This record gives sequence, structure tokens and C-alpha cells, in this order.
Amino acid sequence: MRCMIGLDRMQSGTALFDGKSYRELKKPLHEVGALLDAGNAHSGRTARNHLRWLAMSNGMSPKRVDEVLELVGLTDVAKKRVGQFSLGMKQRLGIASVMLGDPKVVILDEPANGLDPEGIRWIREMLKHLASQGRSVLVSSHLLSEMALMADDLIVIGKGRLITECTVPEFIDRYAKKWVVVKSPQLDSLVSVAQGQGMHVSLGQDVAEFHGVAAATIGELAAKNNVVLHELSTQTGSLEDAFLEVTADAVQYHGNTETQSKGVAS
Amino acid sequence: MIALIRSEWLKLRTVRSNITMACFAVALPLLITLLTMAFINVDSVDERAVSAALLGSGSLSVLLFGIIGVLAITQEYSQGTIRLTLAANPRRTKVYVAKGIVLAILSGGLTAFIILVGNTAGEAILDSRGAVGKLSNDKMGQAYLGMIALSILVSLLGMAIGTLTRNPPSAVAVLVLWPLLLESLIGGLLSVVINSIGFEWMPFQTGMSALQLEDSDMDFGRWGSVGYFGLWILGFTLFAHTVFKRRDA
Repeated sequence: MRCMIGLDRMQSGTALFDGKSYRELKKPLHEVGALLDAGNAHSGRTARNHLRWLAMSNGMSPKRVDEVLELVGLTDVAKKRVGQFSLGMKQRLGIASVMLGDPKVVILDEPANGLDPEGIRWIREMLKHLASQGRSVLVSSHLLSEMALMADDLIVIGKGRLITECTVPEFIDRYAKKWVVVKSPQLDSLVSVAQGQGMHVSLGQDVAEFHGVAAATIGELAAKNNVVLHELSTQTGSLEDAFLEVTADAVQYHGNTETQSKGVAS
Repeated sequence: MIALIRSEWLKLRTVRSNITMACFAVALPLLITLLTMAFINVDSVDERAVSAALLGSGSLSVLLFGIIGVLAITQEYSQGTIRLTLAANPRRTKVYVAKGIVLAILSGGLTAFIILVGNTAGEAILDSRGAVGKLSNDKMGQAYLGMIALSILVSLLGMAIGTLTRNPPSAVAVLVLWPLLLESLIGGLLSVVINSIGFEWMPFQTGMSALQLEDSDMDFGRWGSVGYFGLWILGFTLFAHTVFKRRDA
């Protein structure tokens, strides 16, 4: 993301905004709003002055500063020093700086960091609203449950390489595990018939999980063997499960448990 | 460019440590000059009294303007705002020039203020104490202009050193130790090794000699000294700017 907005040099490749590189943009805040680290604000400066110098540098009026402070709900603390802000307030201030120029492209790195549940919902709704207005919103996050609620398209990166790029439903469909859950008073006979046909079945308490087979096949098998079914449903793994599956080979740092991983989904 | 200069000016004046440093830079020479005029033996006062005190104490504020130059850029790195600055203005040369212009106006303007207030008030104090005769001299104007030029140059040097180190304490240490220690050591060593070369080639000492009232005290003359020092600072500035332009933020 730093490469995209000209802060770091690219080793290869290009990033263009409406056909122009970031460094070619005359007033970039009007084109691209980027928040890479909410902590990038002088702790001794007030929130309003922090936004004022940014606005001034791109020829915006102080009125716009007041508007974005209102937008993120920081009007009451506009004259407070940033050093006295909580992480969540800094995150809101960062969002305000992104929205200063009313940009067509919004780039955010971990925008939900430090936000309370209400704040997380606020940012989710806001980003969805921005996207619905026709803006491009690129979010980098490790919070996959949030991404599942927020994102339309995913770019999965591991060890600096693109692993996959598709819509959220496609991603889950392609990479998440699926299984069929069955409840039946004659579960044992259904399981033995299925196992006799080479199906992989795992047994739980009063339920059986059939892997690698469609629900219709199980339904037909039950009907053929006069087995009464109380439940026949297909279960799908979460976005997190799919992400862990697809990035299993691209994990840079392993913890003590199998479920810890590192990667980027956006 | 005007918008960028206004933005940089706002940045500089909305941080308390910059204001404090600027207040010190203004107050110290004024205080020293006015106290000297208040307590000096009136019988021994000559026409150089006020300007000599002001120029002598002015070297302190010249260094303090250098520290403001250091802070103007190192604060950006230590607080992470450099990323916002460069994201808002990806043309880095313009950012560097805008910062330099703001520093030059601030240090030059405040030095002119120090001279105006210090000279007027100093003369008024001496006048009230019954000192007689003309208190100004023909070299005074040139020396005062030299002081303004030095303030501007040292603030730009501070910015260049700050750009290279990105760390406030180490940049301030370089800026202060350069004239106080480094030049004494190197100049002394050079004068021992090569008889014909000595302290006159040390940039800071030569530059600061422009604060003398008499041209005869300077090896290259007043403007030659300022020019020689200026060339060094130009070299530092160009090097710092190149690094600033190429380095990842």
C-alpha cells in the first residue's frame, strides 16, 4: 500500500489511479484517501490543526475540516491534542483525514483496529456506503469475520505473492470445506450403508457428518434404504477456514497452535 | 506552492516545542543585550556597545534557529507525519523547498525582530542612563545583515542534518558539536599538519565570524565568510534533498 501511494519504491510493477501514478496527481487527497497507520499524527497537535494542515496542503478550506470532524463524530474533541486520544479516536481521526478530499479511491490498512463494537459497525457501514456511491474501497485486514461482512472482492496475499483474487462467495465456494449434516433415528444403519459405499463419515452426538458428498446423494441413499431423516443440511466453512486453507503454504510465522497464521485479505 | 508553504507554516507553529524554541531564540539575545546595557559602566560605553552585545549574544539564537530547523523535519519522522506529508504532496522537492522557505522566513524574520527591538531598546536604556554620543557605527548595518543571513543558513543546515539523521537528539548533537568540538579538533589538527591551512577553512567558524563588527577580523571578509559557509550548507542541502527524494518514507 505504501508503494501504491508513492511512499516506498516499487521493485517491480506499477499502480495507477485513473491512468496516472500517484506521484503524477496534482492534488492527491482529492483522488485517493489513504490511511495506513492511525498513529501518524503529531501527539502535540490538536485534531483540528492536524486536519487543517493536511487540508491546506491540497487547497481545501477549513470548512471542510469541520465537515469531516462532524462525519467521524470528533467535533467535540476537535481542540484536544491527538496525544490524549484513544486508539479508536485516532482511527476516527485517520478516517477524517481520508475523507478530507472526498476521494474516488479509499485505501485503508486495518481500519477496525482499536475500535469498539459500535465503532466497528460504524466503519463497516461507512465503507459499504462509500462503495455504494461508486468509490473504490481497498481494505487490508486480518479480521476475516469483518471482511466476510464487508468485502465484495478479495485479494489474498501470502509471503508477498498474490495467492488468489475473486469474489467472497467464489472464494468460499472454491476453498472452504463443505460437509452434510444428518440427524436421524436410524443413523447407525444409514452410516453403515454409506461407509459400505466408501463414503467418509464422522459421527457426533446424534448427528453424522458426511464429507465429500452432496446432500442430494445422502437424501437419495436414505430414501432407498427407508431411513427417516430429521435433518439434512449442507454446512460450509467460514471465510477464515477458507483463508487458512488457501494460505497454509504461505504462512511466514507459526505459533504454538495450528490455527495461528499471518496473511492479508482485502 | 503557496498552499504548501501555508501548510508547512501551520505545521511549524502548531507544535509547542517549536514555539518554545523560537521564544528562547528571541528572548535570550534580547535579555543578554538589555541586561548588559542596564548594568554596563556608562563611562566606558563606546559607539559599539549595543551592537557588540547584540551580535555576541546573537550567535546563541543562530544556533537555536538551527535546532528549529532540525525539529521541523525530525518531528515528522519521529511522529510518523512524514507519510501524511508525502502522501498529500508526493512531489518531494516541493515539500523540501516549502519547508526551507518557511524556516528561512521564520529565522530571518525573527532575527530582524531581535535586531530591531534589541538595538532600539538597548540604545534607549543607555540614553536613559546618560550615555552620550552616537551609539551606532558604520559596520553595524552590515553585521546585522550578516546575522540575518547566518540565522537563515543555520536553520537550513539544521533541516539538512535532520533530514539525514531523522532523529531529533542525534541531529541536535551534530549541529551543536560541529561548531563547538568538531571544527576545533579538525582545525587544530590541520593547522599542525599543514601550516598554511587552519581554522579559516572551518565553515562554521568562518561563517560565524560574519558577526564581528570589523571586517579585519575575518579571513574572507564579511560576505566572503557568509558565502563560504553558504556553499557548505548548499552542499549539505543538496545531499539531504537527494536522500529525502530517494528514501522510502
